[in-house]
This record gives sequence, structure tokens and C-alpha cells, in this order.
Amino acid sequence: MANATDVDALDFEPDDDDLMDEDAAVDVDASSPRDSAPIPKLKSAITGGSVAAAPKKTKGRGFRDETDAERNNRMSGRFDSLDSDGGPGPERSIEGWIILVTGVHEEAQEDDLQNAFGEFGEIKNLHLNLDRRTGFVKGYALIEYESFEEAEKAIAAMDGGELLTQTVNVDWAFSKGPFRRRNNRRRSPRGQRSRSPRRRF
Amino acid sequence: MAEEENGATAGGEFYLRYYVGHKGKFGHEFLEFEFRPDGKLRYANNSNYKNDTMIRKEVFLTPSVLKECRRIVSDSDIMKEDDNNWPEPDRVGRQELEIVMGNEHISFTTSKIGSLMDVQTSKDPEGLRIFYYLVQDLKCFVFSLISLHFKIKPI
Repeated sequence: MANATDVDALDFEPDDDDLMDEDAAVDVDASSPRDSAPIPKLKSAITGGSVAAAPKKTKGRGFRDETDAERNNRMSGRFDSLDSDGGPGPERSIEGWIILVTGVHEEAQEDDLQNAFGEFGEIKNLHLNLDRRTGFVKGYALIEYESFEEAEKAIAAMDGGELLTQTVNVDWAFSKGPFRRRNNRRRSPRGQRSRSPRRRF
Repeated sequence: MAEEENGATAGGEFYLRYYVGHKGKFGHEFLEFEFRPDGKLRYANNSNYKNDTMIRKEVFLTPSVLKECRRIVSDSDIMKEDDNNWPEPDRVGRQELEIVMGNEHISFTTSKIGSLMDVQTSKDPEGLRIFYYLVQDLKCFVFSLISLHFKIKPI
């Protein structure tokens, strides 16, 4: 039970992240060998960084096991991603643009989504996943449109709107880059930064 | 989109990693995914059966998607559970679920769960059931995201 008092800190090494982003940006061609690639280090969340951060209450046998090395090995190596400039804004998926609808009524049917979202363009794909325990709708839907404009219209018209008596939120699902950047060494030509102090975790 | 002060960061940081795998005659076969605090979703699926190769995909999610993931976790009440009385990982397989949410950090491990029967006959059916369903809901979410974005069948 020594674990109960363990204090852990998390540091996800934003600098490493950025290196990985750079990787991602050139990873389009899966066949291109890159021998000097930095190993995408999955900083162990368990051993964490030692940088001061709020102490966390930890729980579980995972803190007991010596699995970090294996895990880092597992998650090292190259991960494929679609071509992206890493900048802000929504990212295109392979065949279209995906939006996320949240706040979907648990008794919603695919037809309800088709009716509400079909008017902005043909829905190429619709995932209305179910709660595995209850069998009701989990609460979200993923919708694919062919064009950016269709997806954008759907978001503008439906975000904050009502569907089956519930307020739904609608947004892009994928992004070109991280949304919490802690340095702007690159890809921020506009230099838009929050003026509030950076958060440390 | 407000880049730093948005919904997904409200209530503190969020990190989630799930692993399921085993080492057998086809080597180390596993499925693993993680949601990172900066929005990156990473997905790895290594099956050596019939020379299947490793699938590794990563994509950045919007804060909205991370927020929905967080909601699913939060609604499940998994953070209140403990893996003390769950079946230990064994030769058949191992599952790991690691979540950082706000000030809490869990890292649970257990064996593979074949069916609800395994849950019922365990020493902590209530807790294990929560884990069992949460994992399925998370997988379902991730498979949808990965398959829509990359047009692959994740499994």
C-alpha cells in the first residue's frame, strides 16, 4: 500500500511533442525511411517528469509494475498521420470532413441525425454509437461531409441548437495541430499567444 | 477557437491510455490508444497473425472531442473504483487503463475479460463491470474516430 502516498507529477514534454509534430508533418509518405528520426518518446505518465506540479492522488496496481520501459518501446517508432501543416484549424480526413455532435438524445435514431444534418450536404458517413451497457445512444455522433463548406455550414447552424429537446454542440472532430501549445518555436507566424501565464502541470 | 482556455481544459488536465495485449505464439499482439493533453490521439494495433503488420496512427483532436472523451470517463465513475480485487494479468492477457483527470491519477491493470461471466464471478463485479463497459465505450469511440479519419478498419 506504499502507493497510496506516492506523489506523481505529469510532464508531457511539450518540446518532444513538437518534435513529433514535425515528424507527423513529413510522415505522409509511409515508405520514406527516416533513420535520424527522434524517437517519439511517450513520456511515462507513471514515473512522470520531476518538474514540480500539483500532487496527484494515485490509485491502482499499474503504479506497482515495472512496465514503463516496455510501454515506451511499444509506443515508440513512427505513427502515420495524414498530411498536415500542424497549424491551427480543422483537419481534413481521407475522404471528407468530420464533425462531432455532442448532447445527442439517448433515444435518437440515425434518421433524426440525417434529417437535421442532411440539409447541409449529403452525409457520407454517420456513426451514432451506442452505450454498451444500456443499448441507448452514447450521446455523440460523428458525421462526415464531402466538402469543408458543408461541414462548416452544419457547425454554424447546429452548434448550440436543439435536437430532440436537447441542446447539441457541434464542432470539427480533427485538428491540424495541438490545442495547448506551450511554446511557439515554429508554425505560429501570427504569434498568437495567450497573454496569461503558461500553465504548468 | 480559443486555443488554451477552452472546454477540454476546464477542470484540469486529462490523459487517458488503454492497453490490451498478450504474448503468444504470434509474438506480442496488442492494441493500445491514448488521448494526450494536447489533443493528440495515438492508436497502435499490432497483430502478427498471418503476417499482419503494426498499425500506428495518430491525429490531433479538437477540444470538443477530448471533452466528450472526458465526459464518457466521468459519467462512468471509474475514478472511484480500485483494481485491488480484480483478476491479476495472466498468460492469457493483460489490460491497462491509465487516466489522469484533474487531481486524480489511476493506473489499473487486470486480465483480459472474455465476457460478463468473468465479471460476475470476480471478487469485485460492480467495479469490474464499470471497467468492462467503459473500455468498450472508449474502444467504440476511438475506432470510429480512426476509421473515419483514415478509412481503415481498426480491427
